[in-house]
Amino acid sequence: MPFILKYKQLNEVREIPDENYTIKDLLDDMELSAQTIVSKQNGELVIEDTVIEEGDEIQLVQIIYGG
Amino acid sequence: MQCSKCGNPKVIYKREQSGQLLCKECFIESIEKKAIKTIKKEKLLDKGDKVLVALSGGKDSVTTLEVLDSFRKRNIIDICAVTVDEGIANYRQDGVDIAIRHAQRLGIEHKVVSLKQEYGITLDEIMQRENHKGSCTYCGVFRRTIINKAAREMGATKIATGHNLDDEVQGIMMNYLEGNTDNLTKLGAKTESQAEEFTVKIKPLREIPEREIGLYVVAKDLEVHFDSCPYAMQSFRGEVSEVINQLSEKHPTIKYSTLRGYDKIKNILKEELKKDYAHGRCKRCGEPSSNELCKACSFLEELGL
Repeated sequence: MPFILKYKQLNEVREIPDENYTIKDLLDDMELSAQTIVSKQNGELVIEDTVIEEGDEIQLVQIIYGG
Repeated sequence: MQCSKCGNPKVIYKREQSGQLLCKECFIESIEKKAIKTIKKEKLLDKGDKVLVALSGGKDSVTTLEVLDSFRKRNIIDICAVTVDEGIANYRQDGVDIAIRHAQRLGIEHKVVSLKQEYGITLDEIMQRENHKGSCTYCGVFRRTIINKAAREMGATKIATGHNLDDEVQGIMMNYLEGNTDNLTKLGAKTESQAEEFTVKIKPLREIPEREIGLYVVAKDLEVHFDSCPYAMQSFRGEVSEVINQLSEKHPTIKYSTLRGYDKIKNILKEELKKDYAHGRCKRCGEPSSNELCKACSFLEELGL
């Protein structure tokens, strides 16, 4: 089941690896800290506990850069 | 799952420290209310103030501008802004452009001052010199001097900066770890200098975590410059920030308790450690200074400028 991932220059189709795969799981897989990122699901802000569904567009916005 | 305040099922934020869930509208309102609460509690504004916002175009200064603009709209204060262009290639220009657009959008007086025009050198050029003191040392001192000067030129009665909870806690811990008790007494919501020429500085966002300010600008669709200063990683602040953030993962209230603890002892520290500054003038630029040369001019002399 595919979803679209947008992060900085990245814009790619990924497969949902497991059932109940959340944005937090995605951030962990990408080794990104939830503290520095806000997430959008199909253009709407959501919390990291949100489960990614087939066909979703997930956009990650880095909001903290440390300087 | 629903918003703890209004029941809206579209939750965008979970406050780790309290478990509170918030929808977009309630989250935006909570940030604005928190800043207004700080402004009232700490008496940061007086009716008729002209507040100079130190506007970099980043999330913190744009949020500060947004919050203060609600006071301007109610004719309580007037606002102007200054943007300092440090001269950092591939970084600063985007922020400067964004700052200009915000000032135009709100119709406020705004000026951009560059290190190059003020001192004849950019931060990038300073960093190419041998034996430099580190980027943040120069940037902090020059920026502060330029902002103070702009405040006087623009007739501002207050200077508002975008310091958030994370910045304040980093400042407290850095000064403590370095044993810099003098600087430790200068933190806080409102800092007044003994020298009349230095305008009072206020920090309306000091009780709001950095992450919440980032989410606020995205939720409100405010244009900001999200990018990393190329020199940030060289700083002690960056190292301290990393440790505090690691601790906060298991102890989500630690930033608030550090700030509260500091606020409780601040007046005692000030009283115990107060110094009688000589009210002298810098012999080079005439700015108030306790030494022959102010910090900015002593750096300029070292740089041969």
